[in-house]
Amino acid sequence: MKTLVVDEKKCCGCRICEQWCSWTHEGCVNPTMTRIKVIKLHEQYLNLPLTCTQCVNAPCINSCTFGALTKDQNTGAVLVIEDLCVGCRKCVKACPNGVVSIHKEKRKALICDLCQGAPKCVELCPMGAIQYQDVSLEGRVQQAEAALQITCAKERCE
Amino acid sequence: MEKNYGLAGNILRVNLTNGTIEKEPSNPSVFKKFIGGRGLGAWMLYHEVPAKTDPLGPDNKLIFMAGPTEGTITPGANKITVTFKSPLTNTYATSLCGGHLGPELKFAGYDGVVIEGKASEPCYLWIDDDKVRIMPAKHLWGKNTHETEDAIRKELGDINVKVAVIGKGGENLVKYACIQTDYHREFGRQGSGAVMGSKLLKAIAIRGTKSIPIAEPEKLAQLTLETYQILANHPKANARKKMGTNELVDGINSLGFMANKNFTEGTSLSAANITGAAMVRDVVFGDVSCYGCNIVCGKNTQVLSSKYGKVRIEGPEFETLTLLGTNTGVYDWEHILRATQIFDEYGVDTMSGGSAVALAMECYEKGIITDEDTDGIKLHFGNGEALCQVAELIGQRKGIGAILADGSLAAATKWGVPELAMQVKGSDFAAYDPRGAKGMGLTYATSPKGAHHMIAPTFGVEIAQNNRFSEEGKAALVRETQFFMAIVDSMALCSSMRFALDLGKQLQFISAVTGWDLNEQEAMVIGERILNVERMFNVREGFSRKDDTLPKRFLEEPLKEGSSQGQVVNLEKMLNEYYELMGWNQEGIPTAERLGKLGICY
Repeated sequence: MKTLVVDEKKCCGCRICEQWCSWTHEGCVNPTMTRIKVIKLHEQYLNLPLTCTQCVNAPCINSCTFGALTKDQNTGAVLVIEDLCVGCRKCVKACPNGVVSIHKEKRKALICDLCQGAPKCVELCPMGAIQYQDVSLEGRVQQAEAALQITCAKERCE
Repeated sequence: MEKNYGLAGNILRVNLTNGTIEKEPSNPSVFKKFIGGRGLGAWMLYHEVPAKTDPLGPDNKLIFMAGPTEGTITPGANKITVTFKSPLTNTYATSLCGGHLGPELKFAGYDGVVIEGKASEPCYLWIDDDKVRIMPAKHLWGKNTHETEDAIRKELGDINVKVAVIGKGGENLVKYACIQTDYHREFGRQGSGAVMGSKLLKAIAIRGTKSIPIAEPEKLAQLTLETYQILANHPKANARKKMGTNELVDGINSLGFMANKNFTEGTSLSAANITGAAMVRDVVFGDVSCYGCNIVCGKNTQVLSSKYGKVRIEGPEFETLTLLGTNTGVYDWEHILRATQIFDEYGVDTMSGGSAVALAMECYEKGIITDEDTDGIKLHFGNGEALCQVAELIGQRKGIGAILADGSLAAATKWGVPELAMQVKGSDFAAYDPRGAKGMGLTYATSPKGAHHMIAPTFGVEIAQNNRFSEEGKAALVRETQFFMAIVDSMALCSSMRFALDLGKQLQFISAVTGWDLNEQEAMVIGERILNVERMFNVREGFSRKDDTLPKRFLEEPLKEGSSQGQVVNLEKMLNEYYELMGWNQEGIPTAERLGKLGICY
């Protein structure tokens, strides 16, 4: 099963992902209607794209008492059944990644739907900072970094 | 009612003297005459700020304007302009800032913000969609730029709020203080920060949750995707993505027209230490982009310094690197990064700041000023530590910094050597020595805001056409480039988008977003209109041909070494031709006939 994997060190903060997420789903560019959100951490000189991680035992789905959230069996994305969603915002609070928000006009939950398996944010990121890949490959970036750190530390010892 | 596509709908007018906040509907027919951004700002300033207004008095205004394509997917449409009367030059001035501020203003529902009057005590403006408030800022006064941004985001409880601030440089009315956002993006030049400081306005914070109506969404999406592709495959854009604007260092230095040591030299072997490639190798640790741009020219850099600890900034971009670095004879990252950081924290323009220090260094080396004037600082060219010390003093307005804070021309005049200040109308030069690209000489001389390269950056064309030492045809080139840039700036497009978007392509974006049908000829008339309004503001202030000149160094002293050796600028010939092409008289004053054709009444 594929998920979105982010390498925050590559993110340049252009927010093209936000623009097209909003554009593709809502037909306009609106900073509150994007399902991916880039947070600029000024003090750390870092841009952090927050994305849905398609949790297996998804806290958002578990929190919903109206049965408005389900899983897409093909992609693993969380789907919002808008007719059932009452806009109670329990899912916003439940999300461990802070990526559920509320549509300002419809007052329904906004959650990444992986663009039915072809995520626009991945396609248009100029830095390759967002990948859509098999979940088992998650951690490869961290592995490489850890390996580098271990070798640097070793060099210093010698 | 017909929708005003591309426009957010209102212009916000805030009077700090009496605390009034008004919303005026954006008038599409005025936008069509000036597009937005720089053009509309010029028109409003011309009508609202009369001749002889004190730039640091309550009657000056800060007019922030976004453009019609901003806040949409249009690539690189993220600039916002501030237009004001400059305390540095006493001319019309406009300054552009990238980052995320402009789009956020449009999302909040405004095409522009006009700041008038003067507050009775420090305050900041909080634009939260329709809710706009003037907030107390006594607790922020005296804080540096980064601290102020952080404090406001914390106070408002939202990390995504966009904040434009001044630092102590603006509070201390350093005449080239800037307004800053996102830590390292500035309305850099001509002293907008001092004007903001004079109004006791510490910051403007913005949060927007709306969207901009688009005339032809499908066409816009298609144009945008095409532009991403062109930029991804464009060699110049790729060089910028890798090295930022410092990709220019190698070329400009080897062509022998890069500012070195207050423009006494056009080239230096030491520049090899600070080329774009050297920057990537030595100091870059991350990439930064403005809103909706896939060129990504911003670079995060750091040095570990024994003197200053860990120095971390975004930048320096090319003009900072050169004016602050090569122009003061400093060619090492440690001091260039630290000096940039100091100016950024105080909120002071690195270009005019660097130019002022370079002037002081030349005066020190020539014995015009001594240890007595510098309080013992050894202000030799190349002394990076002294550069950092003086940068701090400028921000504080202390010691020699108090003199340099009034600008290089004021300092040089005080020291009896006005000819050593590298400026036009009080505004300092960019790095391109006009002796190595003659068109740039005319650009600097005729720019409506004093010396400024982006009014008409002709050097690229001059190099490509292999005629950079010739004055022939440059009046026409400068004139056309001025019109073109006026359109780019009024669209609020980043100038780097020129790599992918010629005028025709830009007009396609305008048309897709707004539904306006403009052909290239009509657009160039808008450009000409803008240049003439800017000119008329200055004419009303008493500026004319006598002020459209260059320092003696560029007119009379040939470059001694390098690929531009032996060159001086023959300005008068270009100026005569330029005035004629513009339909201005030989004193540089627009004729009633030409103004009438452009629809400007005065």
